[in-house]
Amino acid sequence: MSEIKVTAEIRRFDPSRDEAPRYQRFEVSGMSNMRVLDVIRSIYENEAGDLAYQFACRIGRCGTCAVKVNGVPVLACQERCKPVMRIEPLTPFPVLRDLVVDRTEIEGRYAGLHLAPMREHTHAGQAESIAPQLAEELCHLDSCLACMVCVSGCPAVRERAFDGPAFMLKLRHIAKHPADHGNRLGQAVEGGMLECFGCDVCTQLCPADLSPAQAIREFRRELAFGGEKRS
Amino acid sequence: MSEGRFPRDTTRQADGILHGAVARLLHRVTGVVIVAFVLVHVVAQAIYHVPALAAIKAGVPPMEELKTLHWIHAVLYFSIVFHTLYGLKLLVLELGAKLDYRNSLWAIVGVSALFGIREIARYAGI
Repeated sequence: MSEIKVTAEIRRFDPSRDEAPRYQRFEVSGMSNMRVLDVIRSIYENEAGDLAYQFACRIGRCGTCAVKVNGVPVLACQERCKPVMRIEPLTPFPVLRDLVVDRTEIEGRYAGLHLAPMREHTHAGQAESIAPQLAEELCHLDSCLACMVCVSGCPAVRERAFDGPAFMLKLRHIAKHPADHGNRLGQAVEGGMLECFGCDVCTQLCPADLSPAQAIREFRRELAFGGEKRS
Repeated sequence: MSEGRFPRDTTRQADGILHGAVARLLHRVTGVVIVAFVLVHVVAQAIYHVPALAAIKAGVPPMEELKTLHWIHAVLYFSIVFHTLYGLKLLVLELGAKLDYRNSLWAIVGVSALFGIREIARYAGI
């Protein structure tokens, strides 16, 4: 495996101390298959012990380490390092420090969507049958990491009153659940679903290989032609 | 994820271009070109055909030249075709069609470019 010398510019900002963000440059050498997270960890361990960043699983399953690399939102644990990188926290979220963003509003929005099936009758206490194909589809939709990579990359979020693709995907996921009878379409419209450009940037960026844009299209089709719930 | 296929490689997300960003930018720019053309066209027709504005026609000699500039035709034809096809693509996707966002973008760019090139070739007498 060949070696690589990485020049990483990291956006540093501590709201309690700094007046404005600044970029600090670091040089890191290592194997060419290093991930961005490896570079950040190396910088933290060897050069900047006060650098704030976060990660958990390191295998692209938790979504905690999402950052922007050269302007593109990615999972730091998955993205290969580049010879020259500018690493920034995800936009448009408030920055707590350096690469760590405040997820309070994100969690609040998820909680506000009531993402558990809204049942017409109380649960019978027994397992409910579900078509295998639908179960597979629901499982796939449930693999969203809530990493906010799609929200950060979405041009509609930047320009319009749109909550973001991740929330629409979660709503679509629960709308497809046979036991759910909530007005998920209404919630999606309220969340700005109609503001989506349909550009599929979210589809391209999603680390879980999901398509929030497709979920939005399904909602729109339901809005125009109505929809029947499968069971 | 379709059956029998590994999840796509997400280790080089920041290396390539964002197809959606390119598509959206082109859609917006071509829309502006079309609106600008319609505005200029309406004003130009008024200057040509309304007697009260005949004095302006004499004061704007480049108007005749504008009509024969091949690159203006090329940009205009590209814009009209791209904007129409991309808009239709968005529509058919919402109606349930399945199209790959990358292939469809480059197919539309290619078809639109053919129309633009045709205009350049037409002026070159090819």
